[in-house]
Amino acid sequence: MKRVLEGSHAVAEAVRLARIQVISAYPITPQTHIVEILSDYCASGKMNARFLRVESEHSCLAALIGAQSTGVRTFTATSSQGLALMHELLHWASGARLPIVMAEVNRALAPGWNIWTDQSDSLAQRDTGWMQFYCEDAQEVLDTMLMAYRLAEMVNLPAMVVLDAFFLSHTYEPVDVPEQEEVDRFLPAYVPEFRLDTAHPFALSPLVAPNAYMEMRREIAAAMDEALERLDSVEEKFAGIFGRRYGAVEAVCCDDADIVLVTSGTVTSTARILLEELRAKGEKIGILKIKLFRPFPVEAIRRALAGAKKIAVVDRNFSFGATGIFAQELRAALCNVPDHPPVFGFIAGLGGRDITTEVLASIVEQTKTADAPPAESIWIGLTEAAYAFGRP
Amino acid sequence: MVEIRFHGRGGQGTVVLTILLAKAFFQAGWQVQSFPFFGVERRGAPVEAYLRLDRAKILARTNVTTPDHVVVQDQTLLANISVTRGLKPGGWVLLNCATDPEDLSIYAGQQLACVDASRIALGHRLGSRTAPIVNTAMMGAFARMFGEPPMEAIIAAIREEVPAEPERNIAAAEEAYRDVRILGRIPVS
Amino acid sequence: MNREQGRAEALFMPRSFTTTESNLTGSWRYMRPRFEEKTAPCSTACPAGEDIPRIEMLTTQGAFREAWETILMENPFPAVCGRVCFHPCEGSCNRRGFDSAVAIHTMERFLADSALRNGFRSDLGKLQSWKERIAVVGAGPAGLAAASFLARLGYVVHVFESLPEPGGILRWGIPAYRLPPSALQHEIARLAGLGVEIRTDCRIDPSGLEALERDYDAVFLGCGFGKDRPLGIPGEREEGVEDGLAFLSRIRGGASPRLEGVSVVVGGGNSAVDVARTVVRLGGRAVIAYRRRRQDMPAFDEELQMALEEGIELQELLAPAGIERRDGKLAVTFRRMKISGEDADGRGRIVPDGEAKLEIEADRLFTAAGAGVAEDWHRPPQEETGLIKLSHSILVAPEGRPVRAYGGDATNDVQMVVTAVASGKQAALALDVLFREGPAAIRERLAACAVGPGPSLSMEIYTGGPRKLRTRHVVLPEEINTDYFAFEPRITQPRLLVEERSRSFSEIDLKISAGLAIREAGRCFNCGICNGCDNCYLFCPDVSIARGHEGEDRRINYDYCKGCGLCVVECPRNAMTLEGKS
Repeated sequence: MKRVLEGSHAVAEAVRLARIQVISAYPITPQTHIVEILSDYCASGKMNARFLRVESEHSCLAALIGAQSTGVRTFTATSSQGLALMHELLHWASGARLPIVMAEVNRALAPGWNIWTDQSDSLAQRDTGWMQFYCEDAQEVLDTMLMAYRLAEMVNLPAMVVLDAFFLSHTYEPVDVPEQEEVDRFLPAYVPEFRLDTAHPFALSPLVAPNAYMEMRREIAAAMDEALERLDSVEEKFAGIFGRRYGAVEAVCCDDADIVLVTSGTVTSTARILLEELRAKGEKIGILKIKLFRPFPVEAIRRALAGAKKIAVVDRNFSFGATGIFAQELRAALCNVPDHPPVFGFIAGLGGRDITTEVLASIVEQTKTADAPPAESIWIGLTEAAYAFGRP
Repeated sequence: MVEIRFHGRGGQGTVVLTILLAKAFFQAGWQVQSFPFFGVERRGAPVEAYLRLDRAKILARTNVTTPDHVVVQDQTLLANISVTRGLKPGGWVLLNCATDPEDLSIYAGQQLACVDASRIALGHRLGSRTAPIVNTAMMGAFARMFGEPPMEAIIAAIREEVPAEPERNIAAAEEAYRDVRILGRIPVS
Repeated sequence: MNREQGRAEALFMPRSFTTTESNLTGSWRYMRPRFEEKTAPCSTACPAGEDIPRIEMLTTQGAFREAWETILMENPFPAVCGRVCFHPCEGSCNRRGFDSAVAIHTMERFLADSALRNGFRSDLGKLQSWKERIAVVGAGPAGLAAASFLARLGYVVHVFESLPEPGGILRWGIPAYRLPPSALQHEIARLAGLGVEIRTDCRIDPSGLEALERDYDAVFLGCGFGKDRPLGIPGEREEGVEDGLAFLSRIRGGASPRLEGVSVVVGGGNSAVDVARTVVRLGGRAVIAYRRRRQDMPAFDEELQMALEEGIELQELLAPAGIERRDGKLAVTFRRMKISGEDADGRGRIVPDGEAKLEIEADRLFTAAGAGVAEDWHRPPQEETGLIKLSHSILVAPEGRPVRAYGGDATNDVQMVVTAVASGKQAALALDVLFREGPAAIRERLAACAVGPGPSLSMEIYTGGPRKLRTRHVVLPEEINTDYFAFEPRITQPRLLVEERSRSFSEIDLKISAGLAIREAGRCFNCGICNGCDNCYLFCPDVSIARGHEGEDRRINYDYCKGCGLCVVECPRNAMTLEGKS
């Protein structure tokens, strides 16, 4: 049934429907409403789950690693500084092959203290062995949560479902909340690949010597590849029950495009408005929405961009000393493709600044008029006033 | 697409008002999107919330800066902030005030409607004298001023969403629907 | 690969199915943890040296009989001390800095009540039998304590009491609303079980003492402070002026006079308060007149507070100056005093406030301004051949002559019931050392059984019980890992309402339930002793804490202990120690 829900609430509904057994969270800023709703569900009995309120995000993930190791389905939600504090344990979760799923609300990193949307927090965790899905609207968030559990448990890797702060987390919009019985059909009860069992003891995450470490890493890499292969079948099954699918990437009007805007998160949604406006004026632009960032869908991207003349990547993040992170990944994906189109990297909307259709139009315009991309990123919308902020 | 901005103070139920209206509009067949001003919230401080309406799926994921209409839940805000900031010409301004404003110049070129939502709310024992809960009365007034959503949708949204005293809130919305004073277009002098 | 297709083999991941026991990680160790129990501050503050952390631990476990017996090991009178002791233990409780002290005295009273209700019998009997016979003069708390410990140590003990019933101050001085007779009777009855014979109505005089010295190997004198000191003012012998202790004794003896009108009580100690409260219960009005201020009174503040609630009036800074009998009443004149500077003990020094005087018209006056020995020979000699002066007792053991020991009020700095018990215990242990090893060994042997730094002594340590393994180190508040404790309010002592209690001599403090007692005992940190919480076992990363079977102590398997010290840090109560590897 379609209901008007807050994005955070959509996550909570997905967690309820996925019959999560253990939830852990640190409840202070930068946390969102997600766990507030879930703690209510646990307290009222609407969910049969154990809610562990811990003293830090580090402990939170440690608790989930322990819980998941005993063979139960777990969940947490966090943001920015909270995710940064989890960093060490993100590795422990993937290395121990635990299919934990978290909702990651994209928020800027401090200082300056900023709770608005920005992708730097999740992208800083790209090498931790977690799958990452960037969502465009609340419906996609709910659906992706369910698919993330399915996929994670197939390949024994953890997953992050990423949503923009405020533009998704705090926005109310119509969401189709599926029925429990349908969800059960899509996502059956968790059957762990292994679990801690006193009757059959083993030590988890012990010392691994050089003679085996590399092979274990290779297994994780293989699991990531497997996830990429299996996403399609998971989406197929999901679409069969719920009638919706998203793809690792979505190419909109890319085939004949002179300029393809590469977007992620809610920026994609706003870009769709611009696309319609510019196409109506006869301008051939396209959009490549990248939903799956880890594993990075190189083949799908190469295919989608095969006909493009220029590529403009919108990054709501920045890697200091380098460029926007989506742009880096895109360049790496294309660099061995002969005569690949030039990649323009744009930085916009950091710390929650609006990325309006005007901002996107300016990106298209700058891409159109330049012959070749500069080596460095192009920062959009910097103002003198902002520069002056706080200066003595 | 229609964009509406709501002004109020923290604790007055401004965000709830936009959510209630979003639900009522959705029930009436609209696509909706509502969200608060993205920032930190404090009781008593000025707050803003927004509502987008469209017949098609709403794709914009940006802040509302040039609203089509404005709703002001608290008259005392007029002294501090410009409620008509960015307001498109010809847009509606719905004011909660006991008497029509004497100086209409700030609304020149807009359409004005006034409702004594505080009196109506107190009449239905919603909130206290110092802090009446006016949001459901404002909903009723809005529905009349805007012509949408229908009162049945408003009543259904209140029944679904308001945990305390839904019937009194419905009565307040209905009274405000009847009582709102539509002043219409304020000429540019 | 996937399990849905039937995964061919298990995930290749960091997981080990082999035992780690082949790695003797103990060889990495350069620090060494060990279980080492220490001394709790409450137990060393207790003059009787009770093993309080263990008592509370056992109470928490519901092992009330064992807890009660743990008290008995060090103090034969839990039912008495649970009621009337000034509980210095609580004053040094490590929990004070956390929230508030554990109500240790309430637990003691509870355990004594439980023992009575359930008919517990103590297994503490005679340890052996010796030929020496010892006479005890005075069946007060010091004499009875000495008799009890001497009997357990194996001596033949006879107690001689001048009054018709034993108990001394407990029987004749402390009013029934604080210490009901039944509570005392059961304590004294237990002495008979140890073979102690008490001869009442048997007054000993100096010649009787000489006779005892002929018949016995030693005589213990615990005659107490039996008489109030005179005020030394004119009119003290007027009719209507009475010694406070004599009055209390008369009432405890069964008298129930109707005391109408006003009674003035001169003094500021517990006896003064007891007299005033007894007067109220006999229908009179009472005024306590004290030379100093309320904060200087030696009486327990809680007792005084209850007295004030019962309508007793307190007049501060009044020193008695004279008593006259006028028109059938007493006219009592007081000098007004004022504070000027400080005494050596930190109390305000009092001086006369000019010539200011106050006259109070009264029907009666009771003196309760400090007591002393009733007869001069009750007092120990200051110098004599063979005199051994200890902290709470004095022994006179001249070569080849009968031994005499003094204890109780006459040898104590503080005249309280529990210090009298401490005195009896010290004298008993000293006599045992004297008979078995000779006088030269006394100090050393007593020092060896001190609780912490002393002077409290432990019978259990003396007789070689497990408590002797504890170190002398007194656990400090900062050595408690308070992460493991939650704030928990101290139990509120249930009491009779003020209206109920001021009309009768019924006991004021009511019994508490076992549930409440277990909860209160659970507040105890159990400083320095292992209560089996298993934190060490849970935290040991090398699974090298062996829990053993039921009743066995934990031990550390040093083949695997790496010496990380986690167990020591996580021990909530400092029952473990980390030391450099020798």
